[in-house]
Amino acid sequence: MKLKTFFLVALLSVAINSAAQEIPTGDLLVRNATVLTITNGTLENTDVLIQDGIITAVGEQLSASQDVPVIDATGMYVMPGIIDAHSHIGISNVNESSAPVTAQVSVGDVLNPYSIAIYRALAGGVTSSHVMHGSANVIGGQNETIKHRWGLLDPDELRMAGAPRTIKFALGENPTRVHGRGNNKRPASRMGVEYVLRETFAKAQRYQEAWAQYEENAKTNPRAIPPAYNSQLEVMANILSGDILIHCHSYRADEILMLLGVLEDFGVDQITLQHVNEGFKIAPELAEFGATASVFADWWGYKFEVYYSTAYNAAILTRNGVLTSINSDSGELNRHLYHEAAKSQKYGDLSDDEALALITINPAIQLGIGDRIGSIEVGKEGDLAIFDRHPLSVYAINQKTVVDGIVYFDVETDTDDMRLIVDPESTVDTVVLHSHDDTHQCLYEGSLDLYDFLESN
Amino acid sequence: MNVNYSTFAVAVCCIVLINQPVKAQVNSGESVPDVTRTIALTNAHVIQSPGQIQEQSNVIIRDGLIVAVGPDAAIPFDAIEISADSLTVYAGFIDGLSHTGIPQPRQQPEQERPDDPAFPPNELAGILPHRDVRGLLDPKDKRIASMRESGFTAAHVVPRGRMLPGLGAIILLGGDTPNEMVYRGETSLYAQLSGARRMYPGTDMAVIAKLRQLYRESERRHRVEQLYSENPTGLERPRYDPVHYAMFPVLEGNRPIYFQTDDVLDLHRVLSVQEELGFPAVLTGLSQSFDAIDKLKSANLPLLLTLELPKELRKDKKEPPTDSTKATPTDAPVALPEVMHLDYDPDLRVTSFTDIAIEKENLEARRHMAYKTHVSNAATLEAEGLSFGFSTGGASPSDLLTNVRKMVDEGLSETAALAALTTTPAQILGLTSSMGTVEVGKMGNLVVTKGSIFDEDGEIQYVFVDGRKYDVEPPKKSSGGGGESGANPVGTWSLTISSPDGEIAGTLTISGSDDDWSGTLIVEVDPEAAPLEYIAMTDNVLTFSFNAGGFGTISSSLTLDADSMNGSFDVPNVGPVSVSGTRTSGPEKSTQFYD
Repeated sequence: MKLKTFFLVALLSVAINSAAQEIPTGDLLVRNATVLTITNGTLENTDVLIQDGIITAVGEQLSASQDVPVIDATGMYVMPGIIDAHSHIGISNVNESSAPVTAQVSVGDVLNPYSIAIYRALAGGVTSSHVMHGSANVIGGQNETIKHRWGLLDPDELRMAGAPRTIKFALGENPTRVHGRGNNKRPASRMGVEYVLRETFAKAQRYQEAWAQYEENAKTNPRAIPPAYNSQLEVMANILSGDILIHCHSYRADEILMLLGVLEDFGVDQITLQHVNEGFKIAPELAEFGATASVFADWWGYKFEVYYSTAYNAAILTRNGVLTSINSDSGELNRHLYHEAAKSQKYGDLSDDEALALITINPAIQLGIGDRIGSIEVGKEGDLAIFDRHPLSVYAINQKTVVDGIVYFDVETDTDDMRLIVDPESTVDTVVLHSHDDTHQCLYEGSLDLYDFLESN
Repeated sequence: MNVNYSTFAVAVCCIVLINQPVKAQVNSGESVPDVTRTIALTNAHVIQSPGQIQEQSNVIIRDGLIVAVGPDAAIPFDAIEISADSLTVYAGFIDGLSHTGIPQPRQQPEQERPDDPAFPPNELAGILPHRDVRGLLDPKDKRIASMRESGFTAAHVVPRGRMLPGLGAIILLGGDTPNEMVYRGETSLYAQLSGARRMYPGTDMAVIAKLRQLYRESERRHRVEQLYSENPTGLERPRYDPVHYAMFPVLEGNRPIYFQTDDVLDLHRVLSVQEELGFPAVLTGLSQSFDAIDKLKSANLPLLLTLELPKELRKDKKEPPTDSTKATPTDAPVALPEVMHLDYDPDLRVTSFTDIAIEKENLEARRHMAYKTHVSNAATLEAEGLSFGFSTGGASPSDLLTNVRKMVDEGLSETAALAALTTTPAQILGLTSSMGTVEVGKMGNLVVTKGSIFDEDGEIQYVFVDGRKYDVEPPKKSSGGGGESGANPVGTWSLTISSPDGEIAGTLTISGSDDDWSGTLIVEVDPEAAPLEYIAMTDNVLTFSFNAGGFGTISSSLTLDADSMNGSFDVPNVGPVSVSGTRTSGPEKSTQFYD
């Protein structure tokens, strides 16, 4: 029996098992709304019908059977559920900062459906998050695309089944500080980051070759010895074969061009650059490569490599043909991503549809799920946010958030205590003003080493 | 041939008999052998197994074994007779999993830093699947005697550590040497989602990834080893390494992984990786299993539920004075002594900053509800048809029976509780032919009580381990004061807090009396006094919590002994930190509370 085949079968059976899990879906008729479809313009006085979690009709005066719940959205605005392309909510670990390469770990193994940050994201109209490993490593862990199904307690029920696998990479100050200055290991410089990338990809190629050779030998030699199993290089090989999408934490234009060069040499053609504050300097180059960008609206200056920034970044990238999204990287900012998108109108005059695409269809495409969510179209999944005013207005308040046709947030039933589990030993007056979900946590856990470093100097 | 066999059997018996005095000598640790190893408990109420009761029966133990049980069981001439007219006999309790007999290192050794945190040696990373707990046993560990005094006669013990601490063993809670205690070795592999400190694997997700890597590579090496043992000619020699090779019995299905789960998230994570890799497993801990019942049912794995329960926080009758200074006239009178019994209103919506008192009461009610949910976890498992044994890991020996009684109060049947203490752990650990019931042929492991073990007044009189009798002193009752509490916490105490960064001095001040305590804590690093909350004094144990700024809310539990106290502060994200204290001033005659 070929060991590799055995592994594949084992993985496959797990995939089938988790797919077999019944995720609840709902029917819903939203009546008489202003529907912001994103991909098909704005439709006035329009109904949206969701059946079994899928949008089955968008039009005027739709009919549905008596038992389908109805939301009268007269005077309201319905948009696709917001998608946050860079988040760290709903997971117990962010950074495995012990090594410069940790491709084998996955935040998908430590999903936390009890995290109140998921509910708070729903309150801001966010229905899906790309929850990411941190940026302490050149090649960090794998990420997970989740749907905010608040109240389902099995972590597997948060997963967006079938979404492509993705992995976190990171360039620049974070990995060089943690490993170089913190542990006196490679990479200590931006050159070292390139070295680690090339070395690891080269090892993955050798790993692929070793297994291919073994499988060839095993056809004729039943006593062929399989090569050592390496879960890290398995993942790296999956990147080379295009089965895992890279999302790379990056700021400076020079190192982004370096990364594109490395990927070109190893035949990897899909990349989403995260943060990419200097993307505006190399927008044509990014467009030519086919790279996409996921940026902050106007966050900058929180460390040296982020000083050269502009709030026009999203607009410049968009106008240069780079598919762009705006993300939060924060359990606070994700509650008003629609405001963040609106800033691209103040800085860059994007149209309403272009601005809303930054937090809907564009992040969906970057995550490989553009055919399933991110716009209001027949056949897409029934994920909606219903606002009392146009979501790009500063006065807009989200009223209801729908995932798979089920209302998971309703401002009318938003009671004081929405927690799913309570620690019987916690004192009630514990007020968490500043939880780790609320802040940029790219260096969460990794920061331990940073503190060591600072103290030792 | 038959004749030969019986001759052989007789010869073996003779050898056993000849050896007997020598063995007894070793057992008792005295130079003079025991006069007899035959004991008769007469006229007892015998619970042979959960739900199966024999009235007015004799139980005869000879040479470490139960040789007769029943009303007509003859009392041998050489038996030490113990009149058990008003006593109940249970099978000795079996602890499903703990570190009993493995003392906690007094001082954590200076953390050695690996050359490369990405590739630390297995010893530093806590990956020791080949380490045998038998080499770590210490018969002088205080927990052995205190567990025995709670009725436990055998325990499945595992090493302390991180991800893979090592191999477990079944030990008897009696004996003078490690070897005497060992009943069976290499029974299990212990695992927990517990990362190494600042090296790989440091996080839960890395522990899971490491387990996958270790398991898959062990599968490969196992296969290579098989090929080589079939015929080594023409094959490169497989390299031995203890870590992967210790996984082979697991792959073969012969060595279950006992996987610790501290909360419901651990439970889901362990079940996922178990399903993925397919190793034989027993789940331990399970303190929040009430939230994953369906998943436990479909996993169908043996369960060992911890006997540790959350501490019950008591609401102060009076609001601390610090609050009343801030309070506005509308929310000042909050004194609701019955607050813990208020119904929780899930639909409550108050206007922020004006109805804080109402919201706080509601959250208190929710927390109390959460406490009840945790205590009734065992009853929930029983009601859902999930069988489980108890493990004592994490729980203080003095809490074990109290906690079983709390679980029974919350709806766990006494039959299920007794099964969880005896027959079910015996089944899970593969001990049914020798332990778990009071039946002929089983080991002489018994608990003898006055009153039911599940009654608050039930008292253990004797515990028998391997036929050896241990007398149990009834717990000291307080003689003075007249209240529930013996020691008096009132006064000023000088504390020493053994934090990971070294010892910190503190001053604890307690005033008030039963159910109306107040107090403050000052530590040397922060001169501002922290007011204590939820102060309670139960059975000489003083509990309270306080806000420690950046560390969060610390809950503490200190056991008082006249003028000294010992216990721990539970620091969020750090864990328990041991604390000791001595009285510097206090009630006039603190000693009046002690015999």
